[in-house]
Parts: sequence; structure tokens; C-alpha cells
Amino acid sequence: MSFREKTAWISFSSISVIYASYFWLAFHQRSQGSGPQVAGLVGTIIALVIVQVVLNVAVAIIDPRDAKAPRDEREKLIDLRATRLPYAALAGSVACACIFGAFNAPIIFKTNALLFLLVIAEILRSGCQIIQYRRTA
Amino acid sequence: MGTIRNEIRRLRFEHGEMTQQELAEKINLTRQTVNAIELGKYSPSLEAAFRIAAVFGKPLESVFHYSEEE
Repeated sequence: MSFREKTAWISFSSISVIYASYFWLAFHQRSQGSGPQVAGLVGTIIALVIVQVVLNVAVAIIDPRDAKAPRDEREKLIDLRATRLPYAALAGSVACACIFGAFNAPIIFKTNALLFLLVIAEILRSGCQIIQYRRTA
Repeated sequence: MGTIRNEIRRLRFEHGEMTQQELAEKINLTRQTVNAIELGKYSPSLEAAFRIAAVFGKPLESVFHYSEEE
């Protein structure tokens, strides 16, 4: 497995797990009528950065030659292809969110809705990368 | 759609059992990409194909073959 594929797996799994926890907590806090979840969001972002940095550094230490090598043409092509579908999905869903955003929803709900769309797009992108790396492995 | 076949595996063997990693380093690709090209799972760019042929000192058509699928 190449370094880029490993980083795609790290991105896919860390975003899925950490943001799933965040949205689960946000949903429960909202249903219990708790206040704003800004601290939770900041904590989630910090946790995600720490987890990704630690895992990527660990992978780079295991295989430093692969990690130092610049992306080659196949990896660039995979990146481009993997970005196409999530971009279309994100653009469409943000357009829908703007329409629904006109309704009088609380700001934290709107923020979470947009964040959810971004997270889904990023998971889709990593997932598409992994599928294409597997197909050509 | 046609398929692109190649002789990279044989040519590596004939050039002192050159490894995929050694070939990859000579043409600035990753070992995984060389493996994908060799297995016919990825078609290289024209520039990469010329670089591969140059490593083996062969013309392009001796390394890569295009065939129409029926």
C-alpha cells in the first residue's frame, strides 16, 4: 500500500469517527435543549488535527522514502478524479442548504448543517481515492 | 475500448532483474504506479511511456502494444 493510499485511509477513518462522535453529541445536546456547541466544535477540530498529524507522521516514519516522494502522474489523476464527485455533491447540497437556510433556523443548526455537508464531501473524496487506489493496485 | 499491453516485466528481467523500485526511481514514478502499468491497470502518459522505453533503450512500440478489443 502506497503512502498516499495510507493517508487517504487515515483521512477517511479519522474524519468518519471523530465527526460521527461530534454530530451524535450535537444531536443529543440539541434534543436535551443544551446551549451552543462551539466548544464541542473547536474540540472536534483540534482532535482531528492531532489524530491526523500523529497518524501521518507515524506512516511517514515507517516508510520515509515514499513519504518524501512527490505525487506522480497516477496519484495526481486519482486526486483529480476523486475530487470531481464530492465537488458536485457539495455544490448541489450547499445550494439546497442555502434555500433551506432562508428559514428561521438557529445559527448553530445552520452551521452544523453546512459542516455536515463539508464532512460528507471530504469522506466521499477520501473514499473515492481509496477505491481508485485499490482498483489500480 | 482498446487495451495497452507492455513488455516491462520481460525487459526488467533482461536488464539485470531490475526491480520495480529501481525502474520507478529512474522515471520519477512511484513503485506502485510502475506495478499498475506493468499489470495493465493504469495507462501511463505519453511522456512516462517514452521515459520507460528510454530506460530500456528500446523504441516505444517495442515496449507498449495497443490492441483493439472485439
